[in-house]
Order: sequence, then structure tokens, then C-alpha cells
Amino acid sequence: MTAIRIDDVARAYGPVVAVAGVSLDIVAGELFTLLGPSGCGKTTLLRMVAGFSKLDRGRILFGDRRIDTVPPHRRNAGMVFQNYAIFPNMTVGGNVAYGLKARHVPGAEMKARIARALELVRLGGFGERWPHQLSGGQLQRVALARCLVVEPDVLLLDEPLSNLDAQLRVEMRAEIRALQQKLRITTIYVTHDQEEALAISDRVAVMRGGRVQQLGTPANIYRRPASAFVAAFLGTTNLLSGPVVARTSAGAVVLADGQRFTVTADGIAEGARVSFSLRPEAIHLSASGEALPPGWAALEARVARIEFLGAITRIEFSYADGALLRVAVLGLPPGLAEGATARLVYDPAQTTVFPAP
Amino acid sequence: MTSGRARPLFPIGVAVVAFAFLGLFMLYPLWNVFRASILDSAGETFTLANYAKVLSTAFYRAGIFNSLLIGILTTLATIAIGVPLAFCVARMPVPGKPLLLALAALPLVLPSFVGAYAWVLLLGRQGILSQALATVGVPGVSIYGIGGLVLVFTLHTFPYVMLPALAAFKAVDVSIEEAGQNLGASRLRTFQRVTLPVVMPAVLAGGLLVFMETLENFGVPFVLAEDMPILAVQAYKLFVGEAGANPALAGVLGVLLVGCTTVALLLQRFYLARRRFATAARTAPPTLAASRWLRWAAGGYAWGVVLVSLVPFFAIVAVSFMRFKGPVMHLEPSLDNFLNLFSRSQRPLANTIMLATAAAAGAAILGVPIGYVLTRFRSGAAHILDVLAMVPFAVAGTVLGIGLVISFNSGWLVLTGGWLILVLAYLVRKLPFNVRASAAILHQIDPSLEEASINLGVSPLRTFFGLTVPLMAGGIIGGTVLTWVTIASELSSTVVLYSGPWTTLTVVMFQALEGTSAGAASAAATVLILVTIVPLAFVYRLLKRHDVALV
Repeated sequence: MTAIRIDDVARAYGPVVAVAGVSLDIVAGELFTLLGPSGCGKTTLLRMVAGFSKLDRGRILFGDRRIDTVPPHRRNAGMVFQNYAIFPNMTVGGNVAYGLKARHVPGAEMKARIARALELVRLGGFGERWPHQLSGGQLQRVALARCLVVEPDVLLLDEPLSNLDAQLRVEMRAEIRALQQKLRITTIYVTHDQEEALAISDRVAVMRGGRVQQLGTPANIYRRPASAFVAAFLGTTNLLSGPVVARTSAGAVVLADGQRFTVTADGIAEGARVSFSLRPEAIHLSASGEALPPGWAALEARVARIEFLGAITRIEFSYADGALLRVAVLGLPPGLAEGATARLVYDPAQTTVFPAP
Repeated sequence: MTSGRARPLFPIGVAVVAFAFLGLFMLYPLWNVFRASILDSAGETFTLANYAKVLSTAFYRAGIFNSLLIGILTTLATIAIGVPLAFCVARMPVPGKPLLLALAALPLVLPSFVGAYAWVLLLGRQGILSQALATVGVPGVSIYGIGGLVLVFTLHTFPYVMLPALAAFKAVDVSIEEAGQNLGASRLRTFQRVTLPVVMPAVLAGGLLVFMETLENFGVPFVLAEDMPILAVQAYKLFVGEAGANPALAGVLGVLLVGCTTVALLLQRFYLARRRFATAARTAPPTLAASRWLRWAAGGYAWGVVLVSLVPFFAIVAVSFMRFKGPVMHLEPSLDNFLNLFSRSQRPLANTIMLATAAAAGAAILGVPIGYVLTRFRSGAAHILDVLAMVPFAVAGTVLGIGLVISFNSGWLVLTGGWLILVLAYLVRKLPFNVRASAAILHQIDPSLEEASINLGVSPLRTFFGLTVPLMAGGIIGGTVLTWVTIASELSSTVVLYSGPWTTLTVVMFQALEGTSAGAASAAATVLILVTIVPLAFVYRLLKRHDVALV
């Protein structure tokens, strides 16, 4: 179990800043995810930890050991590549043996360790197969086995699931999480898929433009996004903005797209412009005349589009100026048709307010 | 490599070795050619008199004019022939495409002067075809002169245009083409607006290669130009000098020659650089629907061009198995020509094999690491290497040969008269091809494979030799055999550098050309053709799989 410390690390390629001064303390044994859109610097940061990208400044430590000055082949940081990087000229067993040979592990022990590693990724008995005989998911497991068999100090995963189909992605991410928990290995996981990040991480750093935008547990960054970018990047949301026109006991009233919304009030002056996020699942349908919980707000809107997805239904409502509000509800609400009018209610405490951009 | 932050030593090491090698055996000889051209006959004082003399002599002026004219005409002819050919292969229903493609690249590797000589057998003064034509009342058809030179060069070099154009036609994104038509543009207009812009850079880049090859080529004009002055031939004649060598004037012609090819190379690099922005379609565009008449025309045209370019080679092989009495051929099968050829000495064949093997191996040992650095590093060393490794393209073989002789026939390093000087000349000349082939092979190997190896604890150097080289092996073997084949039929620097014991097959052929013995010459030609085709047939699949292209 090795903690990873990234200390004010930066890297620019000519005029393009890939990583602009990032500091992170990754706790021993946790699965830490770097999440962000392409070009946000997450892969560069991971490659710095692996030793494949140079640092313009800063330090990286594994435990107390400074490793950014150590050449990549001496870092003992196991990496799984996006395209798996399975050696096509070696069998599955040969691939897994590769790192052990470099460490001069004696023959008998090597055999045992290869077998154990393949068992671990549920590929027992696949040692003699050739890579071209395997499916994408199996190749992914070989890559994991090859990496874990050398008992690396840390595990680095670079978009490991992006080449798999949707069904397999969900299975593999659960498997990776289970494996990580079992081995308790400190892991940095890079992905652009927010659902994946939320599903498996202990903590997530959302990156943009080479900087960490927000750092926290999945629930925390989802519920309390620190910026409009994070709110929009993590799942679907309604991002609205407008001036504060009044203050009530429930919060502040914001006029957005011709509609008055009530948001959490903490320290917003009247007249200020604000942005806020209102998650689709925080909005509920309510029969008109039904009593509201104290403090809740309501608005009237017309159904513009219904998208039935089985477990949930996504509905787009148009209100006031014709602006759209996304709502997600469980199941299919009865008697809802496009063009019908409905009453929408929400708890202002569920909104997140940002300074207006 | 002790520090992750240290500048990588590997690319710098490779750059230093490459620079030392090319500096000593290419730049230094070229400098000496230049030096000879600007010094007086005593070799001490600076003078422009040599240039003045060349430029004021009508004969040499004509040489410059002829060389450039032939180069330009050939370039235009190869474009006129190669682009429609590429279009037929890419988009028309032509029968037997795989075979056609395999054969279409062949003219580039078959020895051009052998082709020229074969055309002489067909259309020379005593040519089989010209005599046949004369009997049906068409006299005076001759392969000699500018027309013949352009014809032979065109048939030799059209793949330089055709192959890149073919790749470009296949890279055209059909959806753009369809979008154009969908929006109401006519087929012709779509072709002009969508297809041509993608294909043109490739065609121009190929055309400049044709221009350089035509200017540089020694063997073809030697066979076909007769008394007409041509730069590459005159430089050789002035240097070898039947009436006393004149390195100063040879130097002037050499400098002019290298100057012209360098300009072409720079233009070519410019277009190659721009070509990278061409669209990369995921699927090759479909074959066009064509009427039966059009199908016949396309098939006839494509096969016609390829077969005509190969006919002389078939012809000369056939001729070599005929009995000759003096210069007269009799239609009786016989092995006499080969017996005569090898009874004199088997040394040339052994020499060719030995020299080509040494040079091809050397080119691989030097070329693969350079190709590796070019594809895998983006440092300053890589950029210098990129330029440096392409310079030999612009250096005419004759001029390089002259430079090597001037540089290494006395002083601290004497190489003239030995085998090494030939190997070095071949190595320098074939290095660009080997570098580009290695780069092409490497482009197919994902860099993450090497990173995975390093990540698993294997040092970069051991990763290169233990993982990358084995992964490249098939491609390297294919590329090296291709290099070997082109070295075996190299003439332009060989003819300057060979010495008695190190006579090669090409020299035997060259000497036979000057004599009257068509039998011996055709036998030597046949051996050269076999030496070219047989190894290629063995590695053809390897080359295709690893994407090693001739162009």
C-alpha cells in the first residue's frame, strides 16, 4: 500500500498547457479517478506518474520515494493501456511472464505466479492462447494480469474500458473495482466517462484545461458541484442563470428565462446575477392543489417531449419563454401526454448556485 | 539512462552516428566535388573559370538543357500515364487487380539500363521491331534520342506517380464525393473540387521523384543518348576522361546536377509535408459502375501500360536464350550466352551478391534506428535526422562516386580500388529508402507496446532490441531484400567506383553494351533480372503485410 503524492506538477507542449500545476494526495489503497473531457490533461498526468511524460516542474512521490527522477522502467508502477498493448508476438502466458522475466524471477515461482495472476482475472488455463484468439474483454484481463503479476506499488489505468462495448464495460468496471478492493492497491484511474467514475471511485478529481476543478467523493461532487462545468459534466442537469429579484425565507428568487426559481440563498445579494444547477431527478411532478412540503417551490410547464427509457422517463418541459427544463422520473407517470400542462415542484435545497460566468 | 529528466541519449546517439557517417561519406565527398569545381587546375586558387567554361560551351549548355528537358517531359508523361492508371485501379472494374498491382511496381526495381538496352534490341538500328516495321514500309523508327529517352524513363518511373496517386484515390472520402453530388454538382465538378485536391499533392510529390530519378540516371542515357550530351553521362566522361581526367569540369556538372535535384527534393518535401493533411477515409471508395465499353477501355489501358513497361524485359530474357553468331541472332534455343558469360569469370556474380548483402545489411543496421528515432521522438535530433537522411535522394550516383574517389584515393583513408568504397556508396544511396521503410513499419506498431514493456521493468534499450526489433523483423527483412535488389542493379556510382577485382554484374553488362556482343549483354541482363525478381517474389507478402512501399 503506497500513497501517491503529486506536488505542483506542470507540463506544457509548446504553447499548449497540458497540466497547469496540479497537486494531489492519493491515499494508500484508494481508487482515485481523474475525470475530464479529452484534452483536459488527465492522461498526461497519468503518464507523468508512469514516467512517459516529462515534468516541467513539480515532484511526484510514491510513499516517501521521489519517483519523477526515476526512469520509467524502475518505478514499479503497473500501467494498463487504453488499447491493452498486448504483445502480439507472445502467448497470453508469455505476456504475463514478461515483467517477471525482467525481474529474474526463478522458473518454478514464475509459473506459479503466472497461473495465480490468470486465475485472478478469471483466465485460468488461457496461458497457451495467442492474443489474436481473444476477445476485447479477455485482452483487457490479460493486460490486468500482466500488470498485477509483478506486484506493482501502484496501478495506473488509462481509459481501460473505452474500447469495450457498453454491456462489457459495466461488467469489467465492477470486476476492476473488486480486484482493486481485494488487492488494496493504490490505483489511479483515468476516464472521460462520468458514470464510470462515479460507479467505482473512492475519490474523483474533475479536470479541465490542465487544472483540477473539483476533488471529492462521487456523491459529493455530484451533489455539490463547485462550478457550472462540473455540474454539467457530471450527469445531465438544468443550468440556468439570471438576476436575483427577491429574497424569501426559503431562499433567493432568480428570474431565469422569464420564470421565477427559488434557490438556496447563502449570501446572495438582491440584484446579483447567478447561475444554478437543478438536477432533473430533483424535480417532481405534483397534482395541482396538492400541499407542498415547507419551503418547496413550484412552477407550471407544458410537456414538450417524452422519452421513455424503461426504468426512468425523461421529460422535457417548456415554460414561460419556451425554455426547456429536463425532468427525470421513475417509471412512466400515468396520463402524461405531449402538450399537456403539469405542475413541477422541487426543494430549493437541492439546487447548487455558482457565481454567474 | 539514469535520470528520467535527462535528454534521451538514444536519439542523440543515433543522430551522432548518422551524422558522422553521412558527413564523412556523403557531405565530405560532395564538398570535395564542389571544391574541385571552384579551384583552378593547380587546385589552389579560387576561380569561377570552370563555371564560365561550362556555361560558355554550347556542348555543355546543351547537356544542361537536354537533361532538364528530358526530366520535365518525363515528369509530365508519367503524370499523364500514371494518374489515369491509378484511377483505373482504384475506382474501375479492372480484372486481375492484385496481379496488376504486383507487376505495376516492378519497373521501378528492374534495372533501368537493362530496359533501355532491351528497347535497343527491339527498336534500335538492327532492332527486331524496327526491322519488321521497315519491311512493312515504316522506316526510321528509332529508340535513340530524346523521344526514346522519355519513353524508356516514363516506362521505368511511372510507378513513382501511380503508386502515391493510387493511395490518394483510395483515401478520398467517398461521403464527401457523394455529398458533392447530392448537393447537385456534376460528376466532373465533384472530381475537380473534391477528388483532385486530395490526389494532386501525392501526384506532384511523385512527379518530383520522377524528375530527380530522370536527372540522376546514368545508364539509360548512356545506352540511348548516343552523342547527345546529358549531365550525368558527361560528368562521368569528364571524370574518367578518355583524353585525360578533368575533375574540375566534372565537378561543375556534378554541382549543377546536385543543385537541380536538391531543388526538386525541397519541393517534394514541401508537398509531402502538406500531404499529411489529406483526408483519411475509413473505407476505400467503391468501384464505379461502368458501361461494358468503359470497362474494356479501363482494363485494356491498365494492363496495356503495365505490360508494355515489362515487355522489353520479357524480350531480353527470351533473346538471351537464343544462339548468337557474332552480332547476329538466330532463332535457336541455346545456353551459349550464359556459358560464355560465366566461363569468363563467376566473380562478378559473387561480387554482386557479396557487395549487395554487405550494403543492404549496413543500410538496415543504420536505417532502422534512424527510422525509429524519426517515428518515436519529436526532439531536435529527430528533425535534423529527418532532413539528413533524405539528402542522399538528391545526390546523383555518378556525382557521389566522383566525390568518393576524390576524397579517398589518397591521404589518411584510402578506399579506392577496394570493395568497401562500393559498399559505402550503396549504403549512402539506399539509406533514405531504408529509413522510410523502417518508419512505415514502425507506424504500424503501437508505441504503447514499447511503453508497456518499459512499464514492466525492461529498459528502453532492451525494449528496442527485445520487443521492437522482433516485431519489426518481417518488415525489416522485406525492406532489406528490396534494398538488396536495388543495390544489385545499381550502375551510376558503381561505374565510377569499381576496380578490376570488384567488377559487378552491372559492370559486365555495361562493358557488354560498349562491345558488340548482344549475346553476352542479354545473358548478363537476364541474370540481373532474375537476381531482382526472385528475391522479391519471396518477400512480396512480407512487404505487403508490413506496408513497405517502394515509393
